[in-house]
Amino acid sequence: MGLLSDPEYGSVKWVRILKRIHSPLCFIFYVAAIAWFFTLAHREFNNETYFSENALLPGLVTNEFNGEQSANQYFNELLQELEEKYEDSDEMPIPWLVGKMSQMHLEVYTHNFTLNYPLGQGQVYKGTNVYGILRAPRTSSLEALVVTAPYRSLSNHQKGTAAGIALMLAFAQFARPQKYWAKDIIFLITEHEQLGMQAWLEAYHGLQRESSSFYTSLGSFWQPSTSRLDLGKYAKGFEWITDHSKCLDPGTLKGRSGSIQAAINLEFHTPKFKYIEVKVEGLNGQLPNLDLVNLVHKLCVKSGIHHSYKNSYSWIRTRNKMDEWFNGIWTMLGMVSAQIAGVPNGNHGLFHRFGIEAVTLEGRDVDDPAGMAPRVQSLSYGNFYRLGITLESILRSLNNLLERFHQSYFFYMLAATNRFISIGQYMPSLCLLCGAMLLRALSLWVTLQKDVDDNTDKKESKDKEDPKDKTTDEIDEDKKEDKNEKNEDINKTKHEGKDRKETDISFSIVNMGGNYLLIHLFGYGVMNSPLLFSHIGSMYFDQPSEISVYYGLIATSVLLIFITPFLLKLRSTLTFEELSIVNILLLIELSTACLAIGMHNYPLGLCVAVLYTPLSLIVGVVDSDSRSGFCLFLKRIICLILHPLSVVSLGLIIYSRVLFPEETLLSMIGRGRDAAMQAVMFSIVDSMIYGNWLFNVGATVILPTWLLFWQILCNRVTA
Amino acid sequence: MLKLGIPSFFLFILILQIKGDDFKEEIFIKPLPPSHLYVNFHFITLVNGEESFEHSHLAPRSLGEIMSRYQVEELHLTLTEGQWKHKQWGYPVLDAAPGAELYAWFSPEVIDVDAHWKKLSSTLSGLFCASLNFIENFNTITPKMSLWPTGAQKLKQNYTSQLRYASLPREIVCTENLTPWKKLLPCESSHGFSSLLNSRMIHNTNYHSIGVHVRRTCVDNNCLDTNLEIKQTVALVYDFKIINSMDWSFRKLFGQGLPGACPLSSSSKIYIDTTSNSTYRFKLSPEPNNIVLSQRGGSETELAVYNITNSVMMNIVAKYETKDKIFVNIPPPLTFTQYVLGYGKEFGGIVTELTNNYWAPIDVVLLENAPWWLPIQLSSLRINGEAESKLIMSQYYSPGKSRQKPYHLELLLRLPPKSTTTLTIDFEFVFLKWQEYPPDANHGFYIGSALISANLPTAKNYTSLPIHGNTFDSVINASKPWYPMIFRTNGAMVSLPTPDFSMPYNVICLACTVVALAFGPLNNICTKELVLKAAGTPLSLRQKIFNIFKKKKD
Repeated sequence: MGLLSDPEYGSVKWVRILKRIHSPLCFIFYVAAIAWFFTLAHREFNNETYFSENALLPGLVTNEFNGEQSANQYFNELLQELEEKYEDSDEMPIPWLVGKMSQMHLEVYTHNFTLNYPLGQGQVYKGTNVYGILRAPRTSSLEALVVTAPYRSLSNHQKGTAAGIALMLAFAQFARPQKYWAKDIIFLITEHEQLGMQAWLEAYHGLQRESSSFYTSLGSFWQPSTSRLDLGKYAKGFEWITDHSKCLDPGTLKGRSGSIQAAINLEFHTPKFKYIEVKVEGLNGQLPNLDLVNLVHKLCVKSGIHHSYKNSYSWIRTRNKMDEWFNGIWTMLGMVSAQIAGVPNGNHGLFHRFGIEAVTLEGRDVDDPAGMAPRVQSLSYGNFYRLGITLESILRSLNNLLERFHQSYFFYMLAATNRFISIGQYMPSLCLLCGAMLLRALSLWVTLQKDVDDNTDKKESKDKEDPKDKTTDEIDEDKKEDKNEKNEDINKTKHEGKDRKETDISFSIVNMGGNYLLIHLFGYGVMNSPLLFSHIGSMYFDQPSEISVYYGLIATSVLLIFITPFLLKLRSTLTFEELSIVNILLLIELSTACLAIGMHNYPLGLCVAVLYTPLSLIVGVVDSDSRSGFCLFLKRIICLILHPLSVVSLGLIIYSRVLFPEETLLSMIGRGRDAAMQAVMFSIVDSMIYGNWLFNVGATVILPTWLLFWQILCNRVTA
Repeated sequence: MLKLGIPSFFLFILILQIKGDDFKEEIFIKPLPPSHLYVNFHFITLVNGEESFEHSHLAPRSLGEIMSRYQVEELHLTLTEGQWKHKQWGYPVLDAAPGAELYAWFSPEVIDVDAHWKKLSSTLSGLFCASLNFIENFNTITPKMSLWPTGAQKLKQNYTSQLRYASLPREIVCTENLTPWKKLLPCESSHGFSSLLNSRMIHNTNYHSIGVHVRRTCVDNNCLDTNLEIKQTVALVYDFKIINSMDWSFRKLFGQGLPGACPLSSSSKIYIDTTSNSTYRFKLSPEPNNIVLSQRGGSETELAVYNITNSVMMNIVAKYETKDKIFVNIPPPLTFTQYVLGYGKEFGGIVTELTNNYWAPIDVVLLENAPWWLPIQLSSLRINGEAESKLIMSQYYSPGKSRQKPYHLELLLRLPPKSTTTLTIDFEFVFLKWQEYPPDANHGFYIGSALISANLPTAKNYTSLPIHGNTFDSVINASKPWYPMIFRTNGAMVSLPTPDFSMPYNVICLACTVVALAFGPLNNICTKELVLKAAGTPLSLRQKIFNIFKKKKD
């Protein structure tokens, strides 16, 4: 405490040095952070993956899978069934699936769920999942593994999953008569992609949202029961606001097993695939335990299946270190871009929130929409047999598990299928970025202090410095006296400082604090606004909700951009100190937020820090008599570009430019705008249905900090 | 010839007079279509008269001594691996909780029941090589409503206070429990039905449960005298999918044929429930000795009976005529399931769902037995989402105490016809002390099954013996106004907040210990001054007084 509030340190050596070098230092921090991130992809800076959990015993069993014939049969039957009866409809062939599963003597259940679409005109979607439980003999159904496949109809624009479902059924048929299972296996086929998965998981864990049921009352026994009722009373007028909490009604499950230990999601279009992509990124950037990822990669190798992760392909192993480094960088960047949005890139991603480790295996062909892998033509095709033994060995390894996945890493980045970077190695880069911001905050504080104590006597500081020159013997002798003196001095100066603050500097806590709070309330308002916009849009303008929400957000932003700079001037004239304090608080908030976000979702934290650290370094309190008008204008432009909404829009315009380089500028902008509209809409809907917090973070943390930056840039203070 | 004959004849009479023990063995086989087969062994030893177990004839002395030593009136012990699936399989003869389950009534003369209980469980632990010695006060309860003695009892006596119940859901049952269990039988495993029980085949089943049930039964209708009935049971459920065919035979199920009856048994019978023959036709060979039709509580059962007398190797075979038929499962009158809700490490809930498929209401007593580390809150009890429910007719709740007493909730419920009743009760996760975690702490913690005692109004799917019956013949035409049964729901598993017991954690613990150990001496060295003192020089009085003051000054 003493260090920062001590008014005398204005002349301490490190303070002087800090003042002189803080801006180059911050710049070095920034560059070092980015350099650090990229060096992590190099072989020397990351680690070979390894198994922490010995109980997995990967690949020790002799593979017995013999269901290739039946898998092919199921595949053909399913395709035939789909073509004959479900050609035009989006429905799932429930009777066929139930029939096949009950023939194997699995316990088969169906599960219905409903989505009340939160935005728009109250559309209701219904769906059904089918699942069969293989009960392990001689256990009391305490633990379970899940094998799942999303169902996609023939008319779906995405790749189908018929082969995945066929493989699953063939595997179930193979696994049913085996006596070695120690955990139940749930074979689950979900409808409507992630929606079905989320509904099933919520139903499995009992998160029903009817007021009378379990989870709303959960943990409420310590709360006074009246508070909830009161809230309800006030919220009655705003029913459309509170309504969204029930948008997904997960329904109930008729049969269930024990606690789920791990899940494997299968997405196979056809048995003739070239390689398997192992997808790991989940909701809010959560990752499965590294042991599971390693397990899958290792067993793919053992079963002779080509596998890949992002830009790292198992069949390409170069000796060239530079190539390897670049591949690593691209893999890492791929992972970062997948994690930033916090949207799971497969059904596995929804399991993570429930503490279940899950990955997706996706079969890819030469002409995959995700892009062509190098030298993919020369690969041999996979088949059901290879896939079957892979799945068998993965599940038997998981069957060996005695404890839940708890060893190994939960926070990591992958630089290749077999190289990883642990949290201890990647956090420093984020810390450096936040360090730059904190350094800037410190230097601002120091300058501020100096101004406050501008007129303090030189004598005091001299006194303070004098003892350093004395020899140690003398210090020992003078110790007591010196201490007393010092204490008195400090007290005196403190009083003086206080007096001066009250008199000379009109520093208004109320003004600044009120402003600070108000800005954050704006953020909170924006977070809750999409429902209102969609409501208004559909009521008065008859527009689809994505357009009304997007333009509503733009209108709000523009409004805020014009209003907020004047908020500071409402009560009194601004002083340099006030704005500096705001600036310092802002820097501390932003860096803390970045670190906190980075702890959960490192790529998002890193991305926010990379974008906003430069802004925070260039933004400073503007004097009224500063002459560099052009510089200020440039700063304001940069600030406007870094507005969260414009970052999203610009980013997507550039991305569409990269994807479709042949288009004209105008159509490119149009395409980017459409993409941005979709992106904003998806993030809002995801936050309502799945609990993705990207939009919430953007609205309640990043937007207010941006507004504060804008306020600082748009106000001039009288010197 | 005559000389030899007369003494042996007298000896024989003498033996009969000393002990009139009676031993019977039975097998009950019931196909559970579409894919399972239920095999239930009964070995009944009746011990005549008031006994001191100094001499025993057929009854196992070790068990008898335990009974008389600890003054146990009635004892039920089951060791089970797997879960009986009531919804698919109907009801077993005797239900058992997964893991180990022990409950006993002590004689009314016993004052310190807890001490006797502890001794009893420890002794049984040694007898059956099971970890029953882990039964302590903190996992023992005294059910108030759900359990009642099945044996003869004196009227107007408070039996409830003499009852103790405990279950150990984590117990794993294996060969080591079966071997001592077999040793209690008069023929051990050399002759008779028990020779079928070889562990290699038993542990291939889907569900197996071994049990010992001891109770007093009336000698005659007046009930002036009681017998001690020791019943040993084995329940097995085979999966046709795992044994790889629907046709079953003794050789396929047990790895060998039946070598005949135990010479010491007074009756050895095999009952095969052929009711499902009407839908799933199968043919038994050899032909049964006779076929019995039994009308019981509105349901009709056909039993094929084999009376085994000789000791000729025998293999009963069932051959199915129709295979792979679609089977429509009609659930029994009362079904139930238990599961844990929620995720994360803060709150959770236990849900028990009871479904009454019958057209009349069914009264049940539900016993929830939560260990102390899973504090269930009575205030959060909801029945179908309501805090105050009309379904509850009586309620007993005894809150647990940390490390001393489990949470115990009993509810007498009237389940409305054709409905599902959902009970939810919330719990908070607690932190354990670090030595209290079991090995493999991240495996999870077991919650035992809930007990459901029901008086079923119909005998559909009901296979239990009537309360006064010893053997399986008593099932035939035994209609009663209601059919009592004690069910066990499935257990569940939760994962408590668990510290990272891996290397860093150990290192932290170790490092802290080392630092603490090192700090003491270092502190001593740094703060105390070592002063040399001449040894042995006597101090004068003045110096002594001076020293006292010196110390005080310090």
